[in-house]
Amino acid sequence: MIRNYFKIAWRNLTKRKVFTAINILGLAIGFGSSIIIYLFLNYHFSFEKFHANADRIYRIDTEETRGTVNHIPSVPPGLANTLRDDYDYAEKVAKIVWKENLVLSITKNTSRVKYKENVAFVEDGFFDIFSFPTISGGKPVLSQPNTAVITEKKALKMFGRRNVTGEVFKLDNDKVIEIVGVLKDLPKSTFLKTGVLVAFENLNSFNSFEAGESWYGISGGLNCFALLKPDVKKETLETALLEFPEKYRANDPTTKHIYKLHALNDIHFMKDYGDVDAKFLILFGIIGLFLIGIAAINFINISTALSSYRSREIGIRKVLGSIKQHLFWQFIVETFLISLMAILLGVLMAAIFLPAFNTLFNIELSLKTLLNVQFFGMILLLLGVVTFLSGSYPGILMSRILPVLALKGSFFQKNTKGISTRKVLVVAQFSISIILIVATIVVSKQIDYAVNSDLGFDKDQVAMLSLPKTIDKVQQQSLKGRLKNISGVKEVSMCLSSPGAATSNWYSTVNYDNRPEAEKFQVSLKPGDEDYLKLYDVSFVAGRNFFKKEYSNEMIVNEQFVEKIGVTSEAILGKKLSVNGVTGNIVGVIKDFHNEKFTRGISAMVFTLNTEWYSEISLKISHRDTKSIMADIDREWIQAFPDYIFEYRFLDDRINQQYRTEQRYLFLSKVFSGLAILIGCLGIYGLILFFANQRIKEVGIRKVLGSSVGHILSLFSVDFLKLILIAGAIATPVAWYLTEQWLQGYAYRTKIQWWYFVIAIVLVMLITLVTISYQTIKVAIANPVKSLRTE
Amino acid sequence: MIKITDLEKYYKTEELQTIALNKLSFEVKEGEFVAIMGPSGCGKSTLLNILGMLDDSDGGSFIFNGEEVINYNERKRANIRKHNIGFVFQSFNLIDQLSVFENVELPLIYTGVKKAERKRRVEEVLEKMQIMHRRKHFPQQLSGGQQQRVAVARAVVNNPKLILADEPTGNLDSSNGNEVMDLLTELNSQGTTIVMVTHSEHDAKFTHRIIRMLDGQKVAENSLV
Repeated sequence: MIRNYFKIAWRNLTKRKVFTAINILGLAIGFGSSIIIYLFLNYHFSFEKFHANADRIYRIDTEETRGTVNHIPSVPPGLANTLRDDYDYAEKVAKIVWKENLVLSITKNTSRVKYKENVAFVEDGFFDIFSFPTISGGKPVLSQPNTAVITEKKALKMFGRRNVTGEVFKLDNDKVIEIVGVLKDLPKSTFLKTGVLVAFENLNSFNSFEAGESWYGISGGLNCFALLKPDVKKETLETALLEFPEKYRANDPTTKHIYKLHALNDIHFMKDYGDVDAKFLILFGIIGLFLIGIAAINFINISTALSSYRSREIGIRKVLGSIKQHLFWQFIVETFLISLMAILLGVLMAAIFLPAFNTLFNIELSLKTLLNVQFFGMILLLLGVVTFLSGSYPGILMSRILPVLALKGSFFQKNTKGISTRKVLVVAQFSISIILIVATIVVSKQIDYAVNSDLGFDKDQVAMLSLPKTIDKVQQQSLKGRLKNISGVKEVSMCLSSPGAATSNWYSTVNYDNRPEAEKFQVSLKPGDEDYLKLYDVSFVAGRNFFKKEYSNEMIVNEQFVEKIGVTSEAILGKKLSVNGVTGNIVGVIKDFHNEKFTRGISAMVFTLNTEWYSEISLKISHRDTKSIMADIDREWIQAFPDYIFEYRFLDDRINQQYRTEQRYLFLSKVFSGLAILIGCLGIYGLILFFANQRIKEVGIRKVLGSSVGHILSLFSVDFLKLILIAGAIATPVAWYLTEQWLQGYAYRTKIQWWYFVIAIVLVMLITLVTISYQTIKVAIANPVKSLRTE
Repeated sequence: MIKITDLEKYYKTEELQTIALNKLSFEVKEGEFVAIMGPSGCGKSTLLNILGMLDDSDGGSFIFNGEEVINYNERKRANIRKHNIGFVFQSFNLIDQLSVFENVELPLIYTGVKKAERKRRVEEVLEKMQIMHRRKHFPQQLSGGQQQRVAVARAVVNNPKLILADEPTGNLDSSNGNEVMDLLTELNSQGTTIVMVTHSEHDAKFTHRIIRMLDGQKVAENSLV
């Protein structure tokens, strides 16, 4: 019997090749995208799973309240030491501090080779907490100063071989560091992204605050991990930590700290702490299911439509004594065959498109990941669900019909009027397409808005160079003078960071007008020289810029600051301000500009001249001949810092880069809406192919009676256009709600316009019309004599 | 074998009701060969559908083999049908996707006959119908006469007690038509009861009895033996 089912199913499928192809192709696209989405989700949910003690490892984070609540994935440096030395909750506690773009140099055949690398400074306990094995299989040890552990990849890059234990390199042209171990290459699914790990003791020369034991202040570049004792619960330690601020940082009562423990397995998804938003991942999963759903709808629609062709066969079978179950299973087997072929084709498609997806997201997903019981189980489940979901409705429908009617082939014509299941399903397909198109428009408008809005400063043709730490005030001035002399360089400014897309943001408390208590808000501190605001063309609301050469303690604030203090811009001029141990007079108020991504609001800002904090050079250069200007700058810079590597980036690129995640989402939503439309169109094509055939005689009669081609075209399309309008009415509020929710994540956001919805609906209509017209026109221009003869 | 009493059937549309069978009564004895004749629309096919338990009636009684079947559900009717009744249609109604062999085999599958036995019986009946050489062909590859022979083979493969034939020669030329009528006569002589709807006086002459219908009622009955 089963063999018989398969045999008949195969013959049925091969008989109507076009419809079978449409079904398989649609489902395959759905399956293929779902496989990639599955791999993507699997990757994100596999983070840190490989550590032996993963269930006992926690990152300690800070919820800091000062007017507003800030979530910082870090703690005061002193907390780690205190927790380790004075308490008994944790087996191990280790800090890790990240530093970007340090210069590592080695001697190769008497010449020095420089590499720019990100470096992590880790305490020795780090390797007791985490499971990062060395290539020899053992646990790395970083207990001595001037030692480092590097990964295989870095070893190959720097030395051309793997086992480099005992080799040395110079760190940032200062200390000689010995490599004491080589780590196996890091998996992508871990928080540890740097291939160079240096003993914590060496951090002191880069940042004494982070290297120290202070309880006052938090650096975002520091993480603190703890391996709890087996019997210690997360909550127990969190409760104990509640008392730490009062005990150890009583001198800062205005800044409230609550220390929270986040399980290692969760930190990848700590959205508040700047990590991945699991909501988006779930959304991807839903979209994948949607695509399969649209394809399943095609299947149901085409099958029910075709069933009138098959009703005679069903009638005969019933006459011969077939019962409902037989017919139902016959249908399920057909669906199963289609789904099976679609899955195989889907895997192939996934294999073809995976490399592009990997490049887009800078990850390494591999189909090899799929070779496990879990995936095969999921595929079987999916196969079963899709088979039954799309096979059972047509199966039930067909097995139920009365044999007498079925023999006449008259059963299904009844269903073409009124609200049929098919219409509901088509509306569902159109709705999904419209929602995805609207989402694409909104995401692209928001990116457009963020990237192209007036940020309040001039970001064009500004090149950013990093400034070595070792440079002093005099060197700064001489370098600045030489750079300024290069033809094509319009303006040069030394600063901590650029106005937008800052490499480092420095937040601090502030005392205003000699008040003993610090203000209840934090300020963003922007040290920069007297040319900084001029270079970025920031306009003044009141007062003036810093006086040149007059390195007094002058300070400039922004409108936000004035608003938070609650005075007028004029009244604030001349007032005293204490920030970071320096007191000065406010001499100017500038217009607000966007210092950060549009997800965040504009904070109160204070501009100072503090030369010791400069870490970047901004260069405003001419539009003409950028390349040769940059080459000139390179020459001057290398002359000043022969031991360093010249690198620059344009500020507008850096600002665009902030929206990288959004750009990826935009790309994906384009792809997904494209696929949804494509699968939907396949279905529409199948339906129209059927309808056109079914109505050949009607069209013939109409033509004999004088109907035009246009009229016949409209005969077929009006129904679909109506369905699209209904779908538009359903999709509009849903799309509006979803995109509005997404936009809520931005402090500055574009407005959703009514015409986004119109565009989406009209687009779907146009694509549908194109899909319909080929078949319809073919029928419409056919000779009526021929079409009448088909009966 | 068949006894119908006051059988009624209406077709309803939104505005009007057509009477297809109007208190029709007659009996068919085991081993009889009966022709049902009458103009188009007199209710012949409706009657045949009800006798074949393919359609419901709207009133009256239908006793099949001593069993009142008028209120049986579809499953029960399908069960009686597959064991007792064979059908021959004017348009053959073979399944295009199945070969000759498979078409004939189908009723045996539905009655749960084992594979080896099925093969034996299908081949036997195909021999008898002289289309064994065509067993691997598909219906569209056969002539009308051959197709109807396959349909008859399919109708008899289960050794039904009753064959219902709906204008079995309607789509055939006279020589092929005569062949089919000879086949039916032979089956009847071996004991199978046959009820045949026909327009053809020529075909009716092969039967024992003609029931003539008009507007859903029996108007005459001629015995030919």
